[in-house]
Parts: sequence; C-alpha cells; structure tokens
Amino acid sequence: MTPPVVFSPEPRTIARSNLTAFSRFCEEATGRSLPDYRSLFAFSIAESARFWELFLRWAAPYVEGEAVPACVGTECETAQFFPNLRLSYPENLLRPRRPEDDARPAITALDEAGHRVSLTRAELRARVRRLAQALETLGVGEGDRVVAMARNTATSIVACLATTSLGAIWSSTAPDFGTEATLSRFQQLEPKLLFAHPWYPYHGVRRAITDRITEVAKALPSLERIVLLEPIPEDVPPPGVGVEAVDHLIAAANPIPPEAPWRRFGFNHPLFILFSSGTTGVPKCIVHGAGGTLLEHLKEHRLHSDLGQEDRLYFHTSCGWMMWNWLLSALASGTEIVLYDGSVSYPEPDSLLKALAREEVTVFGTSAAYLQYCKDAGLAPRETAPMPRLRAIQSTGSILWDSQYDWILENLKADVAIQSISGGTDIIGCFVLGNPVLPVYRGESQCVSLGLDVQAMTPSGPTRTGTGELVCLNPFPSRPIGLFGDPGGTRFHEAYFAQNPGMWTHGDFVQLTERGTARILGRSDGTLNVRGVRIGPAEIYQIVLGIPGVLEAMAVEQIAPREPGGSRLVLLAVLAPGTTLDRPLTLRIKRELSQRASSNHVPAVVAQVSSLPTTHSGKRSERAARDVLNGKPVVNLGALRNPECLEEIRIHPALQVDGVQA
Amino acid sequence: MTTSDVRRTVVDWLDDNYHFGDAERLIGSDDRSFLENGILDSLGFVKLILYLEDTYKIKIDRNQLSPRNFDSLGLIVRYVTGHRDYRGVA
Repeated sequence: MTPPVVFSPEPRTIARSNLTAFSRFCEEATGRSLPDYRSLFAFSIAESARFWELFLRWAAPYVEGEAVPACVGTECETAQFFPNLRLSYPENLLRPRRPEDDARPAITALDEAGHRVSLTRAELRARVRRLAQALETLGVGEGDRVVAMARNTATSIVACLATTSLGAIWSSTAPDFGTEATLSRFQQLEPKLLFAHPWYPYHGVRRAITDRITEVAKALPSLERIVLLEPIPEDVPPPGVGVEAVDHLIAAANPIPPEAPWRRFGFNHPLFILFSSGTTGVPKCIVHGAGGTLLEHLKEHRLHSDLGQEDRLYFHTSCGWMMWNWLLSALASGTEIVLYDGSVSYPEPDSLLKALAREEVTVFGTSAAYLQYCKDAGLAPRETAPMPRLRAIQSTGSILWDSQYDWILENLKADVAIQSISGGTDIIGCFVLGNPVLPVYRGESQCVSLGLDVQAMTPSGPTRTGTGELVCLNPFPSRPIGLFGDPGGTRFHEAYFAQNPGMWTHGDFVQLTERGTARILGRSDGTLNVRGVRIGPAEIYQIVLGIPGVLEAMAVEQIAPREPGGSRLVLLAVLAPGTTLDRPLTLRIKRELSQRASSNHVPAVVAQVSSLPTTHSGKRSERAARDVLNGKPVVNLGALRNPECLEEIRIHPALQVDGVQA
Repeated sequence: MTTSDVRRTVVDWLDDNYHFGDAERLIGSDDRSFLENGILDSLGFVKLILYLEDTYKIKIDRNQLSPRNFDSLGLIVRYVTGHRDYRGVA
C-alpha cells in the first residue's frame, strides 16, 4: 500500500533546484530527454561513467589534469575513477568561488555553555594554512597518519584540513571513547601525530581526559608529537612525547598569501580513515580517497540536499562518526556549517533546538533517537523554537519510524521536507537520500542516490523493486580505496564482496518500491545499531570475556519500540559452572564496558543463558539469536547444532519487550 | 510499596543505566541536585520518567516537570508517591 504523501515541493522550488539545473545540463550535453528524476536516475546508472564525468563538469571542483577516462574498469571492487586528475580536498572547501565569499561565515561553532565562534572563509583558510605550515615543520607529510581525539569544534576542522592539505591522512574519534576503543583503532595506523582536546563538556561539567591522552600516547610508539586543541593544562605532557598547543602553532607560523597554490594529490590519494567494528577482530580501518569523498559529497549536498551559498547546515554528529566528515564537505558547496559541542539538552531540554532556531539553520540533520527524545520529553519546538527558514530535516543513524514523521510535522514544522538518509562509514556517504524535486512519503527515503545501482538481493537475484540485502552493482567513486594494513585486499574483499561476488554488500536490509523510494529495514549482519550508533560486538566481547566468570557472550539488537532509536542492546552471557548472574556481576559488566569502551557499548539487559546459538562449523550465530528475540522466523535453523538454546532465549523473562511478539 | 521502595527503584535504575554500582555514592544525600552534580542529564530524566510511568502506571505531565520538583532523589520519590494515581507497583 502506498503511504501518504506528507510533503510536496513547490513547483518553483523544483524549478530553481540544483537537481533541475543539472538535469538540463545533462540534457544539453547528451541530447537526451531527462524530464524527471526517474529518467535522470536511469541515465546515471545506464551510463555511470558518463554521469560522473558530467557531474564533475557541472560541479566544477578545483582540479587539474584530464577528466578522461572517468572510470577505469567495470567491477565495483576494483574500478578506479579519474586516474588522471589531481586535486586538494581542503582547497575545494576553502577557496572562494567569488571574491565576496571570503567575507561570509563558513563555520559557526556553538557549545552547551552558550559560546559562539564564527569564522569567515578567509579566516578559516588562513588558520588552516598557517597550521599546515607548522605541521610540516613538525615533520608531517604525504601519507602520514594524523589521529585525533577531538570535540566537534571549529579548531578540530582547522586541524583536519591542515593535515589533509599536506597529503597526510586524518582519522578521528570522539573524546568520550574509552582508552581501549581508541587504541584498537589508532594502534593499527601507526600515527605520527595526535591532536587532542584535553576535556569535553557534558551537562555543564568539564570532563578531563588528560589521563586517557597519556595512556593512548604511551601505547603509540610511532607517535612523535601531541598537539592539544586547547591551552595546555598542567597535568600534561605525557613523558617522552613533545606537546604543543594548536593556538601557539598557528600564531607562530607565517601568514600565507590567499593566492598561494595548494598542493594537489591524485584523485585516489587517501584522505580519511574511518573505523567500522564487526563481530570479530579489531575494527576495520577504512581508507577513503580525496576525490571520491569530495565528488560523492558534492553530489549528495548539491543535488540531493539542494545545498548552496544561502544555506546553513547543521548535522548532529561527533568527530567519531562519518557524518562529521560529510558535514565538513558541505563547505565545498559554499554552505555555512553549524557545529554544536556538548549536551543537546543542557541547560534546557530543548537547548539545541533553540540554538538552531537562533542560528536560522535551513537544513537540520539529526537522528531518530534525538527525535524520540524530543517526543518523550514533551518538547514543542514549533512554539518554543520556531524555525521559519528551515526547509529540510535529515535523519540518519537508525530507522526513522512512520510515527516520527507525524511528530515532526505536528510539533516541529508543518511544511518541511523530511529526508531519511542512509549509507554509512563504509562508503562515507549514502545509498538512499532526500530529493528536492520529489514528494516525501511517510516512512520512506525519497530516492536512491544518483549514480549508484542499488538493488535488493532476493533469493532469485538482485532487483530494483523488492526487499532484500542492500547491494550495489556498479562502481562508485566513494567506494573505499581499501582497508589500512590490508595491502592484498583480502580483508576488504571479505568484508564487502565475498558474499555476493561482483557486488558491494552493505549489511542492511532494504525495501525498494516501484515509486523509486526506499525503506531501510535494519542490519542484515551481526553489527548492532543502538540509539543510532553502530557498535561492533567484537569490542564488547573483548572486554566482557576478560571478566572472571564469563565464558561466552553474544551481543544482539532487540527491537524495543519505547527505547530511543527503537531498539536496545542485549547481552547474552554463558557463565562458568557455579556462577550466577547476580546484581554485582551485572553491574560490573556494564561498568567495564562503559569505562573501557563507551556508554554506547553498555547493554540495556544482561541475560544468563546456558548456551549460545552455534552452527555445526562452530560459528556463533548472532542472527539466529536476533531473529528469535525479535519474534522472527529463524532462517537456516538446520545449520545450528544447538537449536534448543533458542527457546531458552525466547522465553527468558529479562528479554521480554512490550510490543514485540516473541 | 513504601517511600523507601520507590527510592530503591530509582537508585537501582540509576545503577542499571548510568552509574553501574556507584549511584548511592554519587547521590550522597537525597536533596542533592541530579543535574548540577552530573547524576542525571536531561536525556536521562526523560528515560527515568518513562520508566517510572511504566513501573507505577502513572502519567507524568511534562509541563509540570522542573528542577524544582524533580531534580533530586527526595523530590522524585515525593513526586511519585504523591501522584494521584500512585498505587505502588501494579
């Protein structure tokens, strides 16, 4: 059944949109008729390389070299885009398109204490170039890894862009990550330099992390320098590693003339390393290239989000999530980005919303979990934080439920495009997105991303209309270069291409409709998505299995409609003979996960079971446990050697949830 | 269900969700502000309210909520046990 349309763009909005302008550009260039999104999308798939070449011409990023060939190869796993182009990612974010752009705000950074810092494009660029000069003096160069335990501030962005302007690779986590979680990522990268904020704000309190910085630095033998993103507190430096303050480095560097050229690197030069934790092993270090990231983000921002120079974009994120990188790239579309650091509900429950109303953001990016909080808290931003300039709300991280569309329209704004977008760290972008020329159907993403042949894998093969695992059949520029420390590409292949050879298999279930819309239905692999945060169970197991008395553990996501984000994290534990899961043990498990990983790793429920579902080959099946917990039929029951354990899980008193038929 | 039972319920909930065995120490005294002392933030308050509504089958009017009547253990216990629909655990 077709869900109701809850928003339709005005004809003049459609006419003025970047998407319409790009369609006309493609029509002129190809002689084709592309009267609507469906035809443009079909063209972008049928002639993918031509599409990307035209988009490059239309978007006109600062590049040098030949734009042909647009793509070498036809296999998603190995194809290379624009091998003859060179570019600088920060140049494209900071170099003005028009002289007057330099005087316009580029970043406005807010925090929970009410501070507000605004930087023009010229100011931001000057800081970036001076810091880059200082970093080069410190020995940072092409291919070096620079890591950060950083808050979502303007200074973090300066550090990132200065790093990447030298051809070094940026990789960041949020400062509330525990030491083990941070090290399991950074140790793999052998970084040369660490940026860090010595504290982070949380509900009016400064939480110091200087001890953690010291622990991390000591465990990184490759580290040559720490640069603090705030003035140096007395309890730093850690022994053996030099410590600098970023403001001092910037002040001491020579000014660089605005017209000074930027160092450009190959289109596929590594730019960011993002992390994805799975069910086994250490987190994957996903390497994203500069050109692919820039081009995909330009496409998502300018065409799908219709961003331009009159926009102010806020997306709620931290430096540990790919949406931070995504937000950053919006500078390349001339858009002003708004940052917020600290608690979204301090000092008032609706502090964030009021701040965004004051800043007159035009596009508000958030999550289903935050919107659920707004609903549960009884917030009424339509009255308390009206946003007349707001034209779109984007939500990602977890499924945006149908009822949340209703809540937004009733309580936040009646005439706003609700854009449920989804993709992820693995592609530093989105598979399904918003669209300025299409209506919004309740509960659905508006469209599939241009140029990406996204299909649903069914038992009879991939289909463009149907339900199944999300696969992408064609090459796309933001496919990662590979995994760091995986020179032969074995892990990379195993992670994304082994399941369905020749296709990118993403790990989500998707429903694709005849109308061209999409619904993400949840994870199809063993990773967890709790409150919109993706969690790799392997990090949980590493900690829990070190607790005396715990023999085996399995982390599973259970649908829980009343929880923010609509699900909760459940930990099934097999204990040593004679050990009972009493309250002290439960609290110890939670405490260790909170302190050593993060609060997002803490299960809502710990349940003792006598065994975990295991296949005949000895592999544990999170999927079987998840299906039984969520009242779904367990596929491949015959593959389990102990199917009887599922009944114990199904009827366990601690695992019952209202509204879920187990 | 007595006042001390409601108190225990709230402390256990804080331990289960935020402080993992350290809640009593952090609370210190029952009139200590949760917000000012980092015991609970606004997001946590919303979760606690939902939990109390479920547990005691009461409806808490969001418009009535303010630090004045909900920002310490003593105030929360008083609010819940004084609620017109409060009958203990159903």
